[in-house]
Amino acid sequence: MAVAAGLGPRLDRERFQWSSLAMLAPALALLGVLFIFPVLYSGYLGFTDLALVGSRSRDYQFTGLDNVTRMLSDYVFIKSSWLTIIFVVGSAIVGQTVLGMALAILLRNALVSVRAVIGSIVIVAWVLPEITVALVWYAFSQAGGTLSILLGHTDTNFLVAVPMLIVSLANLWRNVAFSMLVFSAGLRNLPTEVLEAAEVEGASAWRRYRMVVLPLLKPTIVTNLLLVTILNLSEFTLIYAMTQGGPGIETMTLPLYVYQEAFVFHQLGYGTAISLVLVLIGALFSLLFVRASRSQV
Amino acid sequence: MLSEVRFEGVHKIFGTETAVEDLNLRVNAGEFLVLVGPSGCGKTTTLRMLAGLERPSYGRILIGDKLVNNVSPRFRDVAMVFQSYALYPHMNVYDNLAFGMRARGAAGSVIAQRVKETAEVLGLAQLMKRRPSELSGGQRQRVALGRALIRQPQVFLMDEPLSNLDAGLRVQMRAELSRLHERFRVTTLYVTHDQVEAMTMGDRIAVMNSGRLQQVDAPETLYDNPANIFVAGFIGSPRMNFVRGSLTTTRGVAAVEFLGVTTPLSSRAKLTAEAADGAVTVGLRPEDLMWRRAAPPESTLTLSAEVDVVEPMGHEAYVTAVCAGETVTSRFPPRSGVRTRDRIELALNPARLHLFDARSGNTILQRPVAGGAELPRSVGEARVDESEEGRSERQREPHTRSAQSRAEEIS
Amino acid sequence: MSAVEARRAGAEKLIVVPYSRVSPAAVATNMILILLGSFFLLPMLWMVFASVDSNPDWAIKLPTPTLANFTDVLGRADAISSFRSSLILAGTTTVVTTVLAVLAAYPLSRMHIPFKRAFMLAILFASGLPVSMLIVPVYQMYVYFGWLDSLYTTALFLAASSLPFAIWLMKNFIDAVPAELEQAAAIDGASTARILRELVLPLTLPGIAVTAIYTFINAWGAFIIPFVLTYSPDNQPGPVEIYNFMGSHGLFKFGDLAVFSLLFSVPVIVLYLFMSRYFSGAFNFGGAVK
Repeated sequence: MAVAAGLGPRLDRERFQWSSLAMLAPALALLGVLFIFPVLYSGYLGFTDLALVGSRSRDYQFTGLDNVTRMLSDYVFIKSSWLTIIFVVGSAIVGQTVLGMALAILLRNALVSVRAVIGSIVIVAWVLPEITVALVWYAFSQAGGTLSILLGHTDTNFLVAVPMLIVSLANLWRNVAFSMLVFSAGLRNLPTEVLEAAEVEGASAWRRYRMVVLPLLKPTIVTNLLLVTILNLSEFTLIYAMTQGGPGIETMTLPLYVYQEAFVFHQLGYGTAISLVLVLIGALFSLLFVRASRSQV
Repeated sequence: MLSEVRFEGVHKIFGTETAVEDLNLRVNAGEFLVLVGPSGCGKTTTLRMLAGLERPSYGRILIGDKLVNNVSPRFRDVAMVFQSYALYPHMNVYDNLAFGMRARGAAGSVIAQRVKETAEVLGLAQLMKRRPSELSGGQRQRVALGRALIRQPQVFLMDEPLSNLDAGLRVQMRAELSRLHERFRVTTLYVTHDQVEAMTMGDRIAVMNSGRLQQVDAPETLYDNPANIFVAGFIGSPRMNFVRGSLTTTRGVAAVEFLGVTTPLSSRAKLTAEAADGAVTVGLRPEDLMWRRAAPPESTLTLSAEVDVVEPMGHEAYVTAVCAGETVTSRFPPRSGVRTRDRIELALNPARLHLFDARSGNTILQRPVAGGAELPRSVGEARVDESEEGRSERQREPHTRSAQSRAEEIS
Repeated sequence: MSAVEARRAGAEKLIVVPYSRVSPAAVATNMILILLGSFFLLPMLWMVFASVDSNPDWAIKLPTPTLANFTDVLGRADAISSFRSSLILAGTTTVVTTVLAVLAAYPLSRMHIPFKRAFMLAILFASGLPVSMLIVPVYQMYVYFGWLDSLYTTALFLAASSLPFAIWLMKNFIDAVPAELEQAAAIDGASTARILRELVLPLTLPGIAVTAIYTFINAWGAFIIPFVLTYSPDNQPGPVEIYNFMGSHGLFKFGDLAVFSLLFSVPVIVLYLFMSRYFSGAFNFGGAVK
């Protein structure tokens, strides 16, 4: 800078304040011990043959890529990966996003009383503890349960007949409020003049949504997609409480498989290796989220 | 306690932008100095550096004899009124006023006494239990002022304090601020983009543009002897007309030719060293460019022009006319009957010309000091430049040097 | 009435009722919503009805009213102790997370910290990681340190896993407080401690409440972490207890199960209602990283 030449060092360099470190330190300590260290530690454990019990529980070894090779030839792992994809894509990406947006748009145009009641019901489903959701959907889908009566097959246990569909529906039922709230906020933030302009120009409601609302909501949609993907990828409680991965391995998504390998079959090393795959996928989506949130600022 | 403030070679650089460049400015003890300029000229940065909210990149800032570059705002003993008022939203008026004294550990009884006095000065006594959200704009403004007044600081800093008020209230508060300054005589640095505020309130005015200080002078001096084209154009409304001209010197007598006429320069005016024969920019204030029929005898020059636009203001009219290919604005009496495309004659007092170097824009004609007999006492109309807030509304407010008397007239 | 008059009357009618709320689209919108709403209502309605039914089964039916299920559950020591465990677990997690998040968010929002942007990205990144996947290494660590089967050490891990999002949320709330207020206070002579105590804390109280309640709701429903890290019956929080009951069909009556889940759900619903008036801001994800 021409002006700066010959004036000596800058006097306004930012100074580090030790008080900021003091305020950050407790959080950094907790995260360091119980978050960052476990992440790094699992990066190591995933390449060992650590077991929960027996000689391998103390005397475990680094086994290189053995766990990876094992995964690639592990029928359950491959099936489990497919189930995870079906679950995330079906329940989260398609179901949650589409139904969430539909609810947000419909509620915006509904009678005040309908909006208040239906909106609250959807949100209560989201606020309920996961275990409660598992219980009510377990009851809902049993033979003789409400669903079987509605469909006229009172002797069918739908949790056995179509287990993946039921857990996906239960998950959708619970999580759709999140997307609905995200989209409601997005719709609220739309510039009303743009919509009014489109209305004045005589665009039909459907056309307005397709040509004006959807493009304007694109950043919200992207954010929502990434968030629900990340959140659903690690879904454990709901599926486990309803099916424990069964019948057979019909609902054994990767988080359940990790739990089973590690704590039922006592293969901590292999279990960690599988969880690393999940962490990697989650990290990938997190990165996408970070990039997307940066580009929409 | 009166303290002067000095900026010595102060620069402020943000990233690659130089917000303030080599600022040398002294605010005298007890003085009301207005820092005025268009948005982004560095005036608010200057104020924030004095407050301690920004540190200068280079140079020294002194309050009294104390170098304050590295003194935190807490210990500078300055008080500031923010443009947004920055009232503490969760505290009532009393607590807003008392906050600073409490922070400095004053005794409860002393605080109560000072809050009471300050509230009375500002007419806030009935509002002590209200929160800022329950106050009108003018009342909030008073609380913000009160929060500064109560502290009896060495220096007052005001950052566009009136810009969020509506026009009527602004005129009233302008007078009130001047009155408060008369009463307490605290050194004040007042930032505004509004030349009316600058002209009516400042003991002196400092004009800034693009981070550089352009001129510091008393209001009349600034108006009569602007240091350069920027100051000449910024102060005064309607804006000064600038037309092309040329300077010639024959046998020691300088003459300027413009708009098709030639006139020798007044013997009372002096050309500066920078002046040279050739192209110059001639500045004509609209009030000096009159309708021939309404002009006083000193207006010896006559120009012929064709009317382009007539803007009636009620008590007068602005007439934009084309004269020798240049567009000029002139102030007409009301109901002159002049209409678009009329041929008219304009009159000009040659002693009222401003001359600027065509290239540097600096003034090359030093005119007699303000207060001379031939100078009109009224500075005249000024246009409020609202561009900083991006408002399109234009207001014209009558004012004289005595804002106080004007405010009394209004109320 | 002549034909002309009739037409005029008809025209007047049209003019009198030019706009009606009952358009087919509006009817359809509300009908679809009511249908969707019953899809959401039916499963939970079962829980409510079964809880006061003397003879419930898996289907929704109008109950034969009784409070016996409630007295049953409230008389069970294991049910009471699981509530106590949940309260300790969620309470500890909430206190630790909220205090640490507020402390960390202030400097991240207001002070100069080297690599702040990278740090915030890491925080955002961490809040996206599937934390329950860290359960194996954490289990190993807890075995090593002898921390297993304690509600407080379990709460520490829950706190660590909820901290990144809490910091991020809290920073957004502090960012929303105008910096000019703090500058005004600094010029008024207030110390950093006073600014924190008298300005930042009161002004971000809604944000702190949202952060705390959000953390509490999550910790209250946490399943896999306490499921793996605790084992003695006294330390089982509500979700684990309900899971165990679900697995022991014959031994646990439908009605009791419904009552237990209902009672366990009430606190979070109440807390959510309390929080919801402040919550809408949390869903504006635009400008996540400044």
